[in-house]
Amino acid sequence: MLSRSQAKGFFLVGTVLAAGSFLALTVDSFAKVPELTNEKALDEKVQLGKAVWDRSNCMGCHTLLGEGGYYAPELTRVYERRGPTFIRAMLTNPEAMYPGQRRMQKYKLTDQEIDAVIAFFQWIGQMQLNDFPPRPILMPVATIGSSTVVKQADRPKLFNQLCIACHSLEGQGGAVGPKLDGVGSRMTMNQIDVWLHDPGKVKPGTAMPNLGLSEESIRELAAFLSTLTQGGTPPVTPALRQQ
Amino acid sequence: MKYRTQRIAYPFFALSMLLVLLQIVYGFIMAFAHMGYDGLHDWIPFHVARSTHTNLLLMWLLSGFMGATYYLVPEEVEHDIISEKLAYVQCGAFAVVGVIAIIGFHFSWWEGRKFLEIPRPLDYLVVVDVLLFLYLTGMTIYRGKRRTTTAMVLYFGLVSMALLYLPGMIDTHHQTVDSVWRWWVVHLWVEGVWELIMGGILAFLLLKLAGVDREVVEKWLYVIIGLTFMSGILGTGHHFYFIGLPSYWLWVGGIFSALEPLAFLGMAVYALTLARKGGRKHPNQNALAWTVGCAILSFVGAGFLGFAHTLPQVNRWTHGSLVTAMHGHLAFWGAYAMLVLGIIAYAMPNLTGRKLYDRWYSGYAFWASNIGMVSMTLALAAAGVTQVVLERRAGMDFLLVQKEIQWHFLGMILAASLFTSGMLAYVYTFIRYGLPNPEQFGRSAYDQELGAASAAGEGAVPSPT
Repeated sequence: MLSRSQAKGFFLVGTVLAAGSFLALTVDSFAKVPELTNEKALDEKVQLGKAVWDRSNCMGCHTLLGEGGYYAPELTRVYERRGPTFIRAMLTNPEAMYPGQRRMQKYKLTDQEIDAVIAFFQWIGQMQLNDFPPRPILMPVATIGSSTVVKQADRPKLFNQLCIACHSLEGQGGAVGPKLDGVGSRMTMNQIDVWLHDPGKVKPGTAMPNLGLSEESIRELAAFLSTLTQGGTPPVTPALRQQ
Repeated sequence: MKYRTQRIAYPFFALSMLLVLLQIVYGFIMAFAHMGYDGLHDWIPFHVARSTHTNLLLMWLLSGFMGATYYLVPEEVEHDIISEKLAYVQCGAFAVVGVIAIIGFHFSWWEGRKFLEIPRPLDYLVVVDVLLFLYLTGMTIYRGKRRTTTAMVLYFGLVSMALLYLPGMIDTHHQTVDSVWRWWVVHLWVEGVWELIMGGILAFLLLKLAGVDREVVEKWLYVIIGLTFMSGILGTGHHFYFIGLPSYWLWVGGIFSALEPLAFLGMAVYALTLARKGGRKHPNQNALAWTVGCAILSFVGAGFLGFAHTLPQVNRWTHGSLVTAMHGHLAFWGAYAMLVLGIIAYAMPNLTGRKLYDRWYSGYAFWASNIGMVSMTLALAAAGVTQVVLERRAGMDFLLVQKEIQWHFLGMILAASLFTSGMLAYVYTFIRYGLPNPEQFGRSAYDQELGAASAAGEGAVPSPT
């Protein structure tokens, strides 16, 4: 049977071996970090972004690289998913973006700090993360009968980043604002154009914020949205709910 | 208590009791926010509640560990703590730093790094405080009449814990490097050196409660902490899968994380076997329940539930979801919270001379808190798995998924209410015990019941005569 000194030996040898291998792998990992994380892009602006991120305790609700509070969305690929326009609007006034929804604290950030946070997200988004976050493999199954996945490629990038955060199309997207299926039958391109310039001006008290979109973006979105007529898409609610 | 200075443990235990109740309050704030009732958002937004909740956990466990050490060391090494006065200063300073940190969080004074939110100036104070603690207990061991493996393992765990606090203070602008150092602290604490502290305290409790042979207890203690380090150190790799480090961590972390439950399984088998074979019918069955319960639930919560989602194939879906919160709750409860509650349940009759371990409320405290915590874990599991399937696998919008799982948080709140009632019963028992009684010096509350039969056993306590 095992003696006490053998047991002690097992502990000491095991610990030294494990600690030694761990240190060696850590040293090797640090040597590879610059390439894996595109460290040359880690400039002063990105550093300021991380400082704002830490100072604001963003990790207390959100996750980044999958680490954080599980109360608010994962932000590793947020630059690609939502784009700078959305992030800027969100950081300026979060509750205007998601009225009546789970609340985010409104931080008093300067324009420079907001730019820095966006740059920080952009840098994080370029890291090689062993395929995290994974692509939602069940999406084609979950949305069977719809052509969403195929069609997404044909939509304006801004639509996939911005509009879809609150509105849904063919069952995909948020539920803060009304569905956009058939919006082209309810509004003309011109009406959409005017609406997107300043929703509150067209309909005082509307929940939709002024996103500060550029003329070019508005033209692109209005042209696309006006093609979403009732015929080609599944049955939709007749009127714009909540407005 | 055998030694006068063992009473130093009391204020640490009392601090633990206060902080754990506060931690529960913040837990409720978060659970209600998850259900959509975030009425306190303007004063205590979720991230403040979260940081406070987790840091209170760390503080009350540390306070419990320190109290346990002050209680256990004199008896193990047969020497009074070298300075009682300095130990109280150390306790007071720890409490003050903790309170400042918690208040500071409500005014955005923090580092914003998960689990290590305590701001830098306070970090330095923590270091000074811990150094004083290590000095007082270390010198006591040095001057002691004997040096037991139990005391040495515990002390080695405490020193390593202090050293591993330091990587968390390395400044970096790089998110990946920042994470690596953060896990050096957090992972190597809870899945490394804290298990040494746990092993030491558990060994002490088994010696006392089960009356087993010290030679056997300490031999297996070495095997268990050996398994802990062999699996746990490289098991840190499960935090390195997706943060911008090389892909070999998927292999290293995956394999060694899968071995981590072995240490906890060892701990559970060890506690159960020794408790059964010890041949002593200890009067304080309540403390024995906490001790054996700790060994079993640490295997379930830390060992099994940890294993269940650290395999890289699973973790790529569950990483950063409520599944982690599910594992976290039962792991900390089983491994460390129950351990601290166990040593307090054992020590209080000795410190005060009162015997409340047979009262209905101490039994209720054990069962209600445990059933409550297991149910909370199940509610979080339902929420976590649903979140992973809908959001990660089916690609549903984050907020839509959160609405889908709101009802699981009602389950969580109901379970937490049961848990809280148990913890209130525990704290009530603690208060009923009152302050340490000077008449207890040199006595044991368990003498009469244990009788002369156990006098030969290792756990035997000298009678005052």
